[in-house]
Amino acid sequence: MGLLDKLSSLFRLKKREVKVLVVGLNNSGKSTVLNHLKSDDDKITVEPTVGLNVEKFKHNNVGFTALDMSGQVRYREVWEHYYSDCEGIIFVIDSSDRLRLAVVQEELELLLQHPDTVGKRLPILFFANKMDARDALSSVKIASALNLHRIINKPWHICASNAVKGEGLDEGIEWLTQQICENIRKE
Amino acid sequence: MAFKRDKKEEEDGGGNIFLNLEKTSVLQEARTFNETPVNPRKCTIILSKILYLINQGEQLGTTEATETFFAMTKLFQSRDVILRRMVYLGIKELSSLAEDVIIVTSSLTKDMTGKEDLYRAAAIRALCSITDGSMLQAIERYMKQAIVDRNAAVSSAALVSSLHMTRIAGDVVKRWVNEAQEALISDNVMVQYHALGVLYHIRKSDRLAVTKLVTKLTRSPLKSPFAVCLLIRIVCKLLEEEGDVALSESPLFDFVEKCLRHKSETVIYEAAHAVVNLRRTTPRELAPAVSVLQLFCSSPKPALRFAAVRTLNKVAMSHPAAVTACNLDLENLISDSNRSIATLAITTLLKTGAESSVDRLMKQISTFVSEISDEFKVVVVQAIRALCLKFPRKHGVLMNFLSAMLRDEGGLEYKASIADTIISIIEENPDAKETGLAHLCEFIEDCEHTSLAVRILHLLGKEGPRTKQPSRYIRFIYNRVILESAVVRCAAVAAMAQFGASCPDLLPNILVLLARCQMDCDDETRDRATFYYHILSGDQPQFIYHYIVDHLQVSIPSLERALTQYVANPTPEQFDISTVPVSAPEPTNVPEKGHGTVDIANPVAVQPETPAKAAESYAVKLASIPELAPLPGSLFRSSDPVQLTESETEYVVKCIKHCFSDHLILQFNILNTLSDTLLESIGVTLEEPEGYEILKEVACPKLSCGETGSVYVLLKFPEDLSLSVSTFGATLKFVVKDCDPTTGEPDTDEGYHDTYMLEDLDVLLSDQVVRVMKGNWGAAWEQAEGESFFELEDTYVLTSVTSLEQAIQNIVVFLGMQPAERTDRLPQGKSAHTLLLAGMFRGGHDVLVRAKLALAEGVTMQITVRAPSQEIAELITSALG
Repeated sequence: MGLLDKLSSLFRLKKREVKVLVVGLNNSGKSTVLNHLKSDDDKITVEPTVGLNVEKFKHNNVGFTALDMSGQVRYREVWEHYYSDCEGIIFVIDSSDRLRLAVVQEELELLLQHPDTVGKRLPILFFANKMDARDALSSVKIASALNLHRIINKPWHICASNAVKGEGLDEGIEWLTQQICENIRKE
Repeated sequence: MAFKRDKKEEEDGGGNIFLNLEKTSVLQEARTFNETPVNPRKCTIILSKILYLINQGEQLGTTEATETFFAMTKLFQSRDVILRRMVYLGIKELSSLAEDVIIVTSSLTKDMTGKEDLYRAAAIRALCSITDGSMLQAIERYMKQAIVDRNAAVSSAALVSSLHMTRIAGDVVKRWVNEAQEALISDNVMVQYHALGVLYHIRKSDRLAVTKLVTKLTRSPLKSPFAVCLLIRIVCKLLEEEGDVALSESPLFDFVEKCLRHKSETVIYEAAHAVVNLRRTTPRELAPAVSVLQLFCSSPKPALRFAAVRTLNKVAMSHPAAVTACNLDLENLISDSNRSIATLAITTLLKTGAESSVDRLMKQISTFVSEISDEFKVVVVQAIRALCLKFPRKHGVLMNFLSAMLRDEGGLEYKASIADTIISIIEENPDAKETGLAHLCEFIEDCEHTSLAVRILHLLGKEGPRTKQPSRYIRFIYNRVILESAVVRCAAVAAMAQFGASCPDLLPNILVLLARCQMDCDDETRDRATFYYHILSGDQPQFIYHYIVDHLQVSIPSLERALTQYVANPTPEQFDISTVPVSAPEPTNVPEKGHGTVDIANPVAVQPETPAKAAESYAVKLASIPELAPLPGSLFRSSDPVQLTESETEYVVKCIKHCFSDHLILQFNILNTLSDTLLESIGVTLEEPEGYEILKEVACPKLSCGETGSVYVLLKFPEDLSLSVSTFGATLKFVVKDCDPTTGEPDTDEGYHDTYMLEDLDVLLSDQVVRVMKGNWGAAWEQAEGESFFELEDTYVLTSVTSLEQAIQNIVVFLGMQPAERTDRLPQGKSAHTLLLAGMFRGGHDVLVRAKLALAEGVTMQITVRAPSQEIAELITSALG
């Protein structure tokens, strides 16, 4: 890759704006994840989201517009309205909530089979959140419990995180940025 | 035409982009919202288009609306201020149409509490439009904060939104009282005004709390003139409820009077307006208010002049003397460049002025009557109508003026009001009859309003035959047969038949004309002509009377229902029109002198439900009660509700008497006003008087606080008619259970029996008689003699009444019959009068009454009753005894 190419790709990246969808069950930590990613002067106290919230943050010169969806049961059906025009999905899982892993799997299944996502190479980033909790499952165990290995037509990545302290978030977002940029370059 | 429009568009500069918008294409465009990054300019325009369409009355389906709504939510990612504010508007418009609107709650709460002031107020309004009662709890904290926010726009928005929220969650909003109190001491005029509005709304059901609020605020002056105006209105409401204390003694009225000297013109006007409109205002209180208005009359601001003269115009009806002082100022306003002000000034002068100034004023109006809008022309017409009642001798000048106005251009409403006025003048003033009819005849020669032409033809048919020279009207009527549309031709044929029936010497001519009408190309006209021709040529006076002179008296909605029923369930029997209830004529509300005009603020005063409609709705309601089915025949008459308790007792009971041909249903409406009791199995025990027989009782199962329930009792009228006028003792009986006032749940399952004495219930003669309008009472009277009616005559001395008017009123109320030929109105200065009444007794018996009254010591009355049976006649004569 020549210097010129690098420069131009950097240049293009600079202007790049991407949209990602943040989903997951209620109380999994979606808003907290985003709250940590935002610039410092935008921080709010997190409380249950009603409907959705739009948040913006930056990573490596890429501007992210994150649609923070509510995870409450009555709003989950709203998610699908936004599948069609996003470039990546962040799926936040409460790794200490063993009981509801089955629900997570169900919701994931619905997401993967939705007509707006099924044919697309949407990168999906899983955050196995609340890794600091005493009875938290490891990311590997969650991946196998959710049977993530069967997803073959979409790039995916799972990383353990602690959204309150911000541990593990940057690693995941780094991966997502890369994937999205690759997708864009391919177009 | 197309060329013209093109040219106009060029002048407008590019034309209107919102012209010729199509819903589907605009919604298609709305997909742009999904694009990343958002293009704020483009999206703003599309949003404007959507809002424009909705405001033009375009209907969006639920799916369409929801789709658009979700697309719109994606615009939250843009930080463009203008676009965001458009999104708020979009949310508000779509909130009632789309589903799942609640999903923007978090986005909106974020904007509402954020730093961008431009977002906050609008976000609050949008948020409140999407919130329902259950979600309100979640945003309550933010709302409370917003109400006391330092930013006036935010605070106002929160207050007004809370006012709207009271409709869906009044209880939650009630909890915001402290915040609203705090907002009330704000420096901002709007915030203070809105805060007062919210506070009043929260407390308005609690009289004591309102009084407290008002007393506090009247002592410490409010800064905001708007808040003061609102306070004046609240004070007036309290004053009206206060009862019969003299205004000058009330401290509240002192406040209103003080506001007349406020520094803001708005407040001064509001106070003057309030004083003028209070029901108990006497000339003493009126004087300062009128002098304030008088000052406004010479203000350089047109709005103030208009407000003042409009209010004076209204006062002139109730207190003409007080306005006379302003006559000079009003004279100056006649030449005002604003025609609305000038019109109101003149009409006010017409109301207050002396007879001598009428001619001059009329001349002045005629100079500019063509320049004012129809709406104000109607005001002028109303004023003339009042004038005619006041100065009957001036009818010549006024009538000429009206006929000139009739010939001018104008809409239906305007023409109808002129025709109404002429008709009412004819009715009031026999001297004006001939000229009035002549003007109307001339008018229908060239009248483009079918409905008016039909009305006038009907009037000619009714009044024409009784004039000195009936033949002169026939030409006008027959011209209509030649020239007009089918509907008018029908009316003309019917009018001619009236002449034929009432004027024997014209009959041969009428028959020739009717014979020609049988050639008409319209079915209905031909049918009518044939029908009338055969009746009139048949030489059967009773047919002529029954089918032409005497018109159909059944209530139209009931007839319609009966016919639909008959068609739906065909039976071999013929349809019997006598089973259809007779409709009472609408009470003739010919206005009193001086109150003759409808005020222009609400020209269409709320009309009470017509008796026919009310009876019909009762009939439907009774038929829907399974326990009472089958009803004993068709409903004959329902009385007005009679109060059987004081209005402020534990249980408020009203009774409606439904009369059938042989039966009576008493409907007791019971309202439970005790908040801590639950009533069960409520019934009414009647002490039945002699002759009556109770057939059925329908109890009311349950009544919690604030609810109204009904108990029905079905009775049979006594065979002996003289016993039917009687008095029932009534007692309410029920089971009481104590309950929690907030939830309404009973504390225990066991209740105790209790009774409650009601006032005695009278079944009167007027409950069994329906008013019937006889167009030609004399003919009916003659007819009754021929048809073997019983006649009964008696003489009474009415000692309790002192004037003829009073006697007439009492007789009409006692008998419940309709005065015919306007004999209920008394020519002035007479000491003897004949009252003619017509009615129908239950079972469909026509009853005619003639009462000759003479004023002596008390009033002497000779009453003659003609009725189909002796019993009915006796009942009626005895009712007055």
